Parts: sequence; structure tokens; C-alpha cells
Amino acid sequence: MQTTASPSLPATRQTASVRAPGPARPYGRYLYLAINIAILVFLLAPIAIVVVFALNPTPFIQFPPVGVSLRWFEKFFASRDFMHALGFSLEVAVLTTLSATALGASAALALARGNLPGARLIVATMLSPLMLPAILTGLALFQTYVLLDVGRPTWGLVAGHTLVTLPYVVRTTLAVLHNFDLRLEEAAQNLGASPVRTFFEVTLPLIKPGVLAGAIFAFIVSFDQFPVSLFLVSPGNETLPVTLFNYLKFDLDGTIGAASVVSIVLAFVVVIGLDRTVGLRSYVKL
Amino acid sequence: MMKALGPLSRRRFLTASASLGIGTIAAPYVARADDPTLRITGWGGKWGDIMKAEIGPAFESEFKCKLQTDSAFPYLPKLQASSRSAPIYDVLHTNSNEQWAAAEMGLVEPKIDPKLVPNLADVYPYAISDKIVGVSIFTSAIGLGMRTDKGYSGVTSWKDLWDPKYNGVRGGYVIPVNSLGQAFLMMCGTLFGKGQTDLDAAYAALEKLKPIKIVDFTGAMEKMLLSGEVGMCVIHDSGIYRYDGQNQPTDFVSPSEGVLSLEQVLTITPGSKMKELANAYVNYMLRPEVQKRLAETVWYSPANKKVKLDAKYDAKLLTTPEKVSKLIQVDWKWYNERKDEIDQRVNRIFRA
Amino acid sequence: MNSTTATRPNGLALFILPSALLFALFFFLPIGLMAVMSVLTGNPVVMPKVAFTTKHYVRMIGDPFYLEVIWTTIRIGLVTTLVALAIGYPLAHWMARIKSRTGHALLLIAVLAPMLTGIVVRTFAWMTLLSDKGVVNETLMSLGFISQPLKLMYTETGIVVGLVHIYVPFMVLTLTGVIGRIDERLEQAAENLGASPLRAFLEVTLPLSVPGILAGSLLVFALAISAYVTPILLGGFQIMTLPILIYQQISANFNVGFAAALGIVLLVISLLLVVAYNRALGLVSGQRELQ
Repeated sequence: MQTTASPSLPATRQTASVRAPGPARPYGRYLYLAINIAILVFLLAPIAIVVVFALNPTPFIQFPPVGVSLRWFEKFFASRDFMHALGFSLEVAVLTTLSATALGASAALALARGNLPGARLIVATMLSPLMLPAILTGLALFQTYVLLDVGRPTWGLVAGHTLVTLPYVVRTTLAVLHNFDLRLEEAAQNLGASPVRTFFEVTLPLIKPGVLAGAIFAFIVSFDQFPVSLFLVSPGNETLPVTLFNYLKFDLDGTIGAASVVSIVLAFVVVIGLDRTVGLRSYVKL
Repeated sequence: MMKALGPLSRRRFLTASASLGIGTIAAPYVARADDPTLRITGWGGKWGDIMKAEIGPAFESEFKCKLQTDSAFPYLPKLQASSRSAPIYDVLHTNSNEQWAAAEMGLVEPKIDPKLVPNLADVYPYAISDKIVGVSIFTSAIGLGMRTDKGYSGVTSWKDLWDPKYNGVRGGYVIPVNSLGQAFLMMCGTLFGKGQTDLDAAYAALEKLKPIKIVDFTGAMEKMLLSGEVGMCVIHDSGIYRYDGQNQPTDFVSPSEGVLSLEQVLTITPGSKMKELANAYVNYMLRPEVQKRLAETVWYSPANKKVKLDAKYDAKLLTTPEKVSKLIQVDWKWYNERKDEIDQRVNRIFRA
Repeated sequence: MNSTTATRPNGLALFILPSALLFALFFFLPIGLMAVMSVLTGNPVVMPKVAFTTKHYVRMIGDPFYLEVIWTTIRIGLVTTLVALAIGYPLAHWMARIKSRTGHALLLIAVLAPMLTGIVVRTFAWMTLLSDKGVVNETLMSLGFISQPLKLMYTETGIVVGLVHIYVPFMVLTLTGVIGRIDERLEQAAENLGASPLRAFLEVTLPLSVPGILAGSLLVFALAISAYVTPILLGGFQIMTLPILIYQQISANFNVGFAAALGIVLLVISLLLVVAYNRALGLVSGQRELQ
């Protein structure tokens, strides 16, 4: 019944399986779970530390914490620099997400379906911004902007961010497109739809979650992006990571913990919100 | 079917309107078109706080301008990459080592005109000596910082830093990127060799300094000292005294061989279009009342002889000609000429 | 997937143009500029007379220090990748196979959380954990297990730990997609034929997940060798990697030409890897690459 050589079913539906994940025998299963829990602890421990630190009133690294205090949160929210940086980071992240998603998804479509010559080479090239140290990309862009005498405008920063987030969108969209069951399109066309209509009514809705997953990565990476921003921000328009990094040079206190907690909460709201509305489950993959 | 437009096209539309939005946001850094803008650099932390809160606004209202401060260190690469006729800063504020490098590259004017900055007449000789480009508006003394609760006694000399009892809690700097570290290297030449330029003696001394924890900025050193990660370190007096009143178990030691000078230096870029305002700014920063306010906030020693600090600051900072004459100024021109090879050597020495 | 492949580009191919424009203006142009700067004596934009020179590259090859730095960078990258793979695979497997939607959401949050924290703060959190007065040492000392703090930071190990923490999510999210697409019924079939779960895994699941392993490893390695913030803070400035050296040359030596040359070297290393990865993928399976 399978017409394709690939041993997987269309990715639009997970196969129902009778057994729970992991090996069947109890010891093997416990080991599996234990390993995974340990890994989760490893992943989350530093986050917990950050939260503890954000609440500890002492103005330097200290363990065990001496108390619970909201002073760092107060300082963070009262700081014009941090608030402005937070807002600016969000603004840049949203703009970056929009442009990276638009450009990346369309590029992925072209690469998967457009029969471009040298498609593999083009894919590798599109992924290469990840390979180059971002600090060089940042400096190179700064140098170019100076050369073109455009200064350090916000769109220049957005362009830099788009460059380094585009690969993620391309990857997620390509992944979805590769597992796309062409028979669905064939069926639509057999039923009389034109290629354009098929594209808009079958293809696009089906790849939408993949594209959105890429958009999430673009948002996260842009919000957190440091080396490119370092050279491309201008006074008064700094992103949060740059402001934090500069702050760290002079003050190693809980304010950065507070900033971090706020960032996490914010990003969770975004991710969970999207998960509820769109259902990202199968598509938040690279 | 409107639905047929699909998410992709909607996104395209959003991108288009976003680009229009970006265009309006994207004006380069002129805040208000009418007020002239003076672009300077400045540190963050306590310096940045007081500049933003008091000194900056006072300057802006007196001179009817806007002050735009870049506090994203490093400054010099950005200045270097911008064109000579349209530099991204009008006034560069950084330490002596970088000012010398900037002067060598032609990025800043080596001398300030005393006719345009009258307050220059009132500064101590070190502030405009031949070891300085531009003018030093403040200085700090580089010496030893230590914990007072660990029973360290009898610390009087630079050479105490090499005492094995500080193994594991000794603090120093990443020499390639930090001027205290660089000045300290030259000090090692004086301590163990024939003088500041005796690099071989300095390298040998640095080898013997290990194990040592190194950081790139004094702020990090301050924190390590406060948390106890470090118990004895090279630091400037400001880094210890600025925690005055917080009952911290730290103290500053002026070694018997002398303290090194860590200058805060201002220079003007040759291509600046705001020369008048720039000179006014330098002059402003040398005013006694401005100097006093800044000195007492961050515990810098003011360069203006006429400044009268409150008693507790006066006692610890360098505020008399005799105290100031003991400052050791190093030859940055000489050092910068050899920086590449020194860095190469030092990176090797401090490899883990 | 193997419908008749047309050989001529169709209308969809035009969709590549916006990205191509972005890359041309904001990637190739600047990188080209960097490449040019790496063979010039100065910055032509600001200096009147510059000449071609190979001195930057000669300097790199001439001094074993730079080769050591390159090797350190690659070594840290490799170790990080392997550890991230070892840690990421079990988690990815669990995430791909878990049935409950809440469970999946929770796992997703746990995996994304490190990414969401922000690189500066995350590294700082590791400093809080690993420094001499940090959580681990203070806890161990107060429990009496050690009398002197363990040197957890200021070593390559510390850097690897920090980098793994940052990049495991990337590995997990790459692998979970691939593992999710492996039909579980294949594993079940193997077990029905008598294989133990472990053997079914080793002989069915693992080989089928190789494209994901390669993709994830490539991504993590590329990111690890270009990391800057984490190695500098967790290595205590005493471990020198290529990005750190590049940054130092730019910010403290103002030697843009040399920095550019170092950057080109890093880029070449990465590109060689992409080529190797594509070859390996082609050898391993007949599947189209899942970038």
C-alpha cells in the first residue's frame, strides 16, 4: 500500500500505539525514565538557580541565599534602560520573526518544489549564517553599513537578526515539506482544483504549523541574540542581551536574574499561547 | 475565497507594512532635529547612573543640546570602522591605553587646546603630561585589594601578591583587554627587573603568579572580592572605596613601591562636526563642582586642583600635589607598539 | 515522493528571490568585505593606502599558538556535540513517543526553557553553580565531602557543560522530529519477531534516526565552535578559542585584518563540515537530506 520508499507514514498524524514509550520490561523502563529525569534536572537546574538568585537580596553570587526579596525586580522594572531594552528587543524580535518567516518559508517552498538547479548547494548556503561566528557577521555588517553610510538604523539590526534566524525557518519548513504527502495535492487536483488553488487551500494550511514552529525559533533566537546586536545597536536603542552584558561588567547582582525571569515568563506566554491555538506538537522540530 | 489568501500572503502584507514602520523608526541617532547632539562614550554602573541622572541633564540644559552616550564597550573598533570625516563619536572617554592607540590611528586629537578648554589651567601636571593624550579628568590608584576577614596581615608591597598563601584566591586581569592588567605587567618589570620596559622579567614574574583567576573588567573583580572568590587582587582604589558604607570586609592597600595611575581620559575626534560643543563638554567635566560630584559618587580622584572634597573622600583619594606626584604613569606609546607580541606571550602564559 | 521530477524550474522557484536578495546584501557583501580585509594591510574605507598581503594568514600558520587555538576550538566543539547527542537522544526519544499532550507540552517547555533564558544569564547561572563559591562547591563543602573547592570553572569541562546546556535543546528538537517520523510499528514488528527492546532499538530505530543525528550534530557543532559568551565566562578567560581570539583582536588589538583572517578560517572549517555531512548523509541512506 505504501508507494514511497520511505518507511514513515505521512506526518499529519501520529500512529496510535498500544504501549507507552520506552522498553517494555520494568527495569529497562525505569532506567529510561531515570535517565530522562536526570537530563531534565540538568536542563532546568540553572533556571532554578536564576530564579533563586533573582530573589536573593545580596548583591553578588552567594549560596545559600539569605532571603527572598523583590528588590531586583523593582530595580529591573524601575530602570529606564532595561525597560527600553526589553521593549526594543521585543520590537526587533517581532519584526525579525515576520521577515524571517516570510523569507524563509518562501525560500523553503522554492527549494522543495521549485526544481531549482543546485538546490542542495543553496540549502547549505542558506544555513551558513549559523556556521560563521556571529561576532564576525556583526562586525562585517557594521563595516558594510558604515561603507554605505547608513549609520546603525533599526532596520539594519533587523536585517542582521533575520539573517541569523532565517536558517531555522528554512529547516522547519523544509522538514514539513519533505514529509508532505503529495497524494493530498494529487487528490485535490483530481477533484478539479487548479494548481494555484491547490497550493493555497491544501499545501499552505498543511505546512502552516511547520512555518509557525520556525517562527517561534526565529523569535527566540532574535530575542536572545547577542554578538550581532553588539555591533549594530546604537545608543538609546539597545537590545536586552547587550544591556545585560554591559550591566554585568559593572554590577553582578540579581537584576540580571530578574531580567531573565521576566524573559522566560514572557516567552512562555508566547509559546504556550501558540501551542494552544495552533497545536505545535508535531512541528516544533528542527 | 478570502481564506485562500492563506497565512503566507497575510504575512507578506504584514512584512510590507512592518517595513514601512521600520522606515519611520529607522532614523539614525538624532533625537530632536532642532537640538544639536553631542555623541560621547561613557561607562555604565555608578558612573553611568549619575551621568544620566544629574550631570548629563545639567549639561544639556546649560548648553541647549542633547547628549548621546554609548556605553556598549568596546568603543574603539566602532570608531575605527567609521569614516574619519564622520566619526561616530565627538568625544571619546576611555582609559589612557586606548586613547594612545586611538591617537596613533589618527582617530582622536592628541592635544586639547587650552584656549578652548580654560579649565585645563587648573589641573594637576599628570593630567596633561607627555604620558597623556587629551586630558585626564580623573584618576584612580591601582594597587592591591584584599579581604579583611581572612587574617591577611602585613600586606605592604606589590610582591606580597606572589605569596603562596594566596594560591586559589588571587585575582588579576586579562592583560590583552584590560589596562590595569597592562599597567601591572609593566610594574612587574620594575619590581623584578630593570624597569617598566623589562619584558622578560615581567613575563617571568607573571609565570610565577599562577594560579590566578583573571577577569576582563574591574567590575567583575570587585564582585569576586565581595563574594570571596578572590581574597587578594590587583584593583584600583575606586573599586574598593565605592562600597563605602556597606560594611564590606574589603580594603585597599597602596603598595610601598608606588601606585599606578588609571586615568579617565577625554579626547576629541578630528572629524567631529561639534568641536565647539565637544570642547565645552571637556571644560564642563573639569569644573570643580562637576568634578566633586562625580568624584564623591564613584571615588575617583579629580584632576582639577581646585576641587575640595568632603573629609572622608579627601582622606583616601589623591587630592594634594604630594599624593599625586607619587602616581606612576606608564609609557602607553611604547606598550601599544609591542602589544601584539606581548599579547601573544601573555595568552600563552595564562593558558589553563 | 518520487513523482516524476521535472527538471526545469517552475513558478515556485521565484519564491527564492527575496531570501536571495537578503543574502546578497547582508551576507555575501559583508563576508566578502571581510575576506577582502583579511588580505589587505588596512581598512580601505578609512585608510588611504592599503596593499595586498598574506601576512595575516602567514602569522596564523607560523605560530603554533594559533593552531592550538584552532584545535582547542574544534575539540570543544566535538566534545560538546557528542555529549549533547548522548544527552539529547534519550530525551528526544521520550518526547517523540510520549502520548499525552500535556506531557509533551511540559517536555517542550522544559526543553525550550534553557533557550528562552537568554545566553548571558544562562552562562551567568552556570557561573553561579560552578564557581569556587558557587552552589555546587558550597553544597559539597558544607556536606563535608570536600575541604577545598573543586575547580569546575576555568576548565574546558566547565565550558563543555555550559555549551551542552545551551545546545541540547537544538539537538533534542532536531532528533525528535526524525524519531517521531519513524513508524513505531517497525519496532513492534522487530519485537514480535523476537528481538529484545534494546535490540529493536539498536537495529531498527537507531539506524533510521541517523539522518537526524547527523543534522543535529552538525547544527550543534557549528554553533559550539562559534560560541563566544559561554567559553569566555566559564573558561575564566584562560581557555582561548577562535571566537574569543577574534573578539580580542577586534576589541583590544584593533586588528581587523587579522580578525577577518581568523574568521575566514572558522568559516572554512564549518563549510568543510557541511560538505562532509552531505557526503555522509548521501552514503548512509537513500533518503533525501532532511536539513
